[in-house]
Amino acid sequence: MRMPAWIALLGGLTLAAAPLAAQDARLARLDPTTGAVVARLVDSARAAGLPDEPLVDKALEGASKRAAGARIADAVRALLVDLGRARDALGGGSEAELTAGAAALRAGVAPGTLGELRRARGAEALSVPLATLADLVSRGVPVETAQAVVVALAARGVSDAGYVELRRVVEADIGAGVPPAAAASVRAQGGRPPDKVVPPGQTRGKGVKKS
Amino acid sequence: MTPDHELDPLVRRAAEALRRSAAPGPGFDTRLMAAVRAEAARGPIDWLLRPRPIRVAPLAALAGALALAAVVGIGTWAVSRSGPAPVVSSGAPGETAAAVQAVRFVVAAPGARRVALVGTFNDWDPEATPLHAEASGGVWVVEVPLEPGRHEYAFVVDGEQWLADPAAPTAAGDFGTPNSVVTVAGKS
Repeated sequence: MRMPAWIALLGGLTLAAAPLAAQDARLARLDPTTGAVVARLVDSARAAGLPDEPLVDKALEGASKRAAGARIADAVRALLVDLGRARDALGGGSEAELTAGAAALRAGVAPGTLGELRRARGAEALSVPLATLADLVSRGVPVETAQAVVVALAARGVSDAGYVELRRVVEADIGAGVPPAAAASVRAQGGRPPDKVVPPGQTRGKGVKKS
Repeated sequence: MTPDHELDPLVRRAAEALRRSAAPGPGFDTRLMAAVRAEAARGPIDWLLRPRPIRVAPLAALAGALALAAVVGIGTWAVSRSGPAPVVSSGAPGETAAAVQAVRFVVAAPGARRVALVGTFNDWDPEATPLHAEASGGVWVVEVPLEPGRHEYAFVVDGEQWLADPAAPTAAGDFGTPNSVVTVAGKS
């Protein structure tokens, strides 16, 4: 084979393979139709300057849970929208911040709170405060209370570790029977929660622990 | 044609030498035919191994270089997209690697034959992070290095049953089963 023809063939193969290589290899875990839909959504995210890894993660979660393709596509599409909303509310941010912001919005946090948090925390990363906000709401702390607590802590310059600790103690208090709103409010002020009520037969200590 | 006697003596001697028959010597034909047969018998490996000149137009060489660069670039990008390699903190807290923190996951699953941890940190792959059983009591444990931020996860028992962590916050599940959430603080 003459060299120029060989090079032309290599170039042609390269160009033909480029779209396949551009698609995340992990999407092969999806059926081809769903994989193509998710790949287009991933491309849309990249084009819009949004992180694409959370979308791939969501699709892989669906694949592992053996969800229907249409449901996976819907979930990825919804997350793409939420990431865009989070970016708008935060005025931009890292992948971790946008992911945590999207989770907070999904939990019912008002978009304006994300902007307040950004202003209150300045240049510091927001992923942990945003995650704490979503966690508190998911644990039953009223959205308004959780928002006020997290923004107030940011204004006081509380560190990421402080947020994680707050979440831990509030969680423990709620597990011990303290009303979620009271637990969050009191702990945010550095106090100890009143009136712990331990329901009969309730056990603790199972689940995740951090070393 | 110029007669020999009119030629320069040096040219005449050279012409006489060229006219003398050059005897190839005994066995020449045999050696020649053996060489021809050996050439014909060479296989594709010989063809590949034998050095030979290659003529390439500059434009073709440029196209080849660009194609090679594209292949390498796409390959590198694809590998980098296949997921980050786990970074295990080996230094003291506060060093750069210490941004990654070891998180211990514990779940009670009495009677389970196999328990796996799946989440945003391992592509939700049930084969990626198996838990190991404690000595007794059906308690399963694994320690995983996680980067700061929010991570969703779940346990998969015996490859079928999805289990949220009862002691952790939950995130609304998009696929019928809720996920648990762990938040890892950074260095600050």
